[in-house]
Amino acid sequence: MDMSTVEHAMLTPSATSAPASGTKVTARACNVYYGEKHALKDVSVDIPERSITAFIGPSGCGKSTFLRCINRMNDTIASCRVTGKIEIDGQDIYDPALDVVQLRARVGMVFQKPNPFPKSIYENVAYGPRIHGIAKSKSDLDEVVISSLEKAGLLKEVKDRLNDSGTGLSGGQQQRLCIARAIAVSPEVILMDEPCSALDPIATAKVEELMDELKANYTIIIVTHSMQQAARVSQRTAFFHLGNLVEVGDTRQIFTNPKEQRTQDYITGRFG
Amino acid sequence: MSGIYFTTMAVLVLAGFYLSSRRAVGVSREASAGSLHSLPVYHGLYTAALVFVPMLLVFAVGAPLLDRIANSAALAAFPSSLATDELHRGATLRDVYNLAANQYSGAPSLELQNAAETLKSTLSLGRWTIFGLGVALGLAGFALGFTSIDKQFRARNRFERFVLIVLFACATVAILTTVGIVFSVLYETIRFFFDPSLKGRPTVTDFLFGTEWNPQAALRADQGDIKTAFGFVPLLTGTLLITLIAILVAGPLGLFSAIYLSEYATPRIRAFAKPILEILAGIPTVVLGFFAALTVAPIIRGWGHHVGLDIASESALAAGVVMGMMIIPFISSLSDDVINAVPQSLRDGAYALGATKSETIRNVILPAALPGIVSAFMLAISRAIGETMIVVMAAGLAANLTFNPLDAVTTITVQIKTILVGDQEFDSAKTLAAFALGFVLFFVTLVLNVIALAIVRRYREQYD
Ligand SMILES: Nc1ncnc2c1ncn2[C@@H]1O[C@H](COP(=O)(O)OP(=O)(O)OP(=O)(O)O)[C@@H](O)[C@H]1O
Ligand SMILES: [Mg+2]
Repeated sequence: MDMSTVEHAMLTPSATSAPASGTKVTARACNVYYGEKHALKDVSVDIPERSITAFIGPSGCGKSTFLRCINRMNDTIASCRVTGKIEIDGQDIYDPALDVVQLRARVGMVFQKPNPFPKSIYENVAYGPRIHGIAKSKSDLDEVVISSLEKAGLLKEVKDRLNDSGTGLSGGQQQRLCIARAIAVSPEVILMDEPCSALDPIATAKVEELMDELKANYTIIIVTHSMQQAARVSQRTAFFHLGNLVEVGDTRQIFTNPKEQRTQDYITGRFG
Repeated sequence: MSGIYFTTMAVLVLAGFYLSSRRAVGVSREASAGSLHSLPVYHGLYTAALVFVPMLLVFAVGAPLLDRIANSAALAAFPSSLATDELHRGATLRDVYNLAANQYSGAPSLELQNAAETLKSTLSLGRWTIFGLGVALGLAGFALGFTSIDKQFRARNRFERFVLIVLFACATVAILTTVGIVFSVLYETIRFFFDPSLKGRPTVTDFLFGTEWNPQAALRADQGDIKTAFGFVPLLTGTLLITLIAILVAGPLGLFSAIYLSEYATPRIRAFAKPILEILAGIPTVVLGFFAALTVAPIIRGWGHHVGLDIASESALAAGVVMGMMIIPFISSLSDDVINAVPQSLRDGAYALGATKSETIRNVILPAALPGIVSAFMLAISRAIGETMIVVMAAGLAANLTFNPLDAVTTITVQIKTILVGDQEFDSAKTLAAFALGFVLFFVTLVLNVIALAIVRRYREQYD
């Protein structure tokens, strides 16, 4: 990819709007080991509230690993060990007294491959609110489901078939269903691991548009392999390489004027 | 004879394979343009198949046919009354065969000697015919395969079709076997109910709705009341009672241990616990029967004693509990497999929403694994219904019409076994009753399977 496309992509309005003030997520000296393998090395970063932060970097550099630290999904991997400190709103999320289940309700996640439950579209979205007791009544629940589908930009396409299986949707629709499912529990942070890699350009555009709207209320972190996408949607970008956080800064600065040679090489397509 | 036949067949098949692939290699080296459509190995396989199939068919059809021809040729010399007298016919045939093999003791009659000679000559002529025909067809197949080798020849596609035919044939055999078994049981069942020459046969209603089972009475037709000899209801209730107890024991234990093993156990525990469960599946049911009769039944009786219940030494409860232990591995092992087959991405999706482990299992994993779990249960139930030995040893033979798990009961399979032991001739109402029982048993399991399928279709959550 050459610089001109990146710069061109950057000229969209969202990329130029200034990030909101406060810091939502703070990581300090974060290390992750899979058994013997040291997958993430000494990562320290601040992620601003109500904005989109993009993680970029070559395959295997630890982007997903770091993302999964933020909602403690790494706990489900037996061999995985995390050290260092990660705070959300100043609260240490690896504090033994903290309830992981509640943390995950605050930090939602959308996966690379759409993974709707093999239940109806309605049930997919209603599942989170149900287990957390968010809706008081059936009509409350209906409202949460409808508004989540609306926010995810899916309502128009599925409103006549809420009882059909979620797995019967197209890939792009499934991914937006997963986003609806995630925002139905009103998380504060939404983690997205390559959410568009299985989608066509039109579906991708819809998801990007959606993220742009969501950033008014949510803190969004997105892992992406598409530098155009990072440039289009994010306000801040972090570049990872071989388990290290090489550079983090405003998206415009990272793409136009990186401080590190490795960042420069990566975004100009010299490796990765 | 069959030894020579199959050796020849093996030689021809191997030769066909080897020579054809060699020739195909040769053809591919020839100067003319273009390469072989199919790899040499496919030319070899194609020829081998062309040799193998006809030779196998000739033997499969010829051998039983020859037996029949030889038998009737050998018996032709005897009086025609033999043809209708099964018993006598069988004895005479045995004599003829023994004599032909020089194992006849005593002085054979002239008739017998002649018959033995006829048998020998018919058999040897027939065998040579089969051999000749088989080899001729095999060679013809060889020639056909070998000569068709050519650059354009699509041996690969032809062989594909051969594979298809073989697979289809296997499926057909399996289906025909099932159909054959059903029909043979059905035939005897119809005889049991409707054969006018049968003494002491019940009507269908007597059988299906009778509440007393006492097949011995049919033998003493003049003394007992035949009407009450073949009441099937106590056997059905006994079977269902024991099966129900078994499922109540094995269902929760098996399913919960499967969930524990697949979702909670560390790899260490899993590596240790799974084989142990599978050993349980390997314990012969006779041994489990001992266990039921000598260990479980006294324990149950002891408990009963303390709470003031008088429990028979043989009880449905003891048999049912041990039968439950027998089927635990079916449920746990199969459920474990299907639970493991649920994609990790579904679990991740639920965890990422903040679901706890047990919520994830209840709401996401079990519904997705439901069809497999139901089939595991069905398999286990079929095993329980079909199990004989444990019931014989622990629940007794008394055909009591009761739903009390502390009483002695008996089951359909146990009665089939009891009726048939020691009997060779299927000509009395008592023995034919076994077929009627078998048929009803088959029907019961069929109905259970249909119900299970309906459940699966209603509740399945298909993932992909
Ligand atoms: N479950 C695991 N067990 C062992 N090693 C793992 C596991 N998951 C990831 N790793 C290793 O950790 C390193 C970082 O992986 P990670 O998935 O975070 O990379 P990534 O940056 O997301 O790559 P990609 O862009 O290909 O998704 C890789 O070397 C990978 O092999
Ligand atoms: Mg990744």
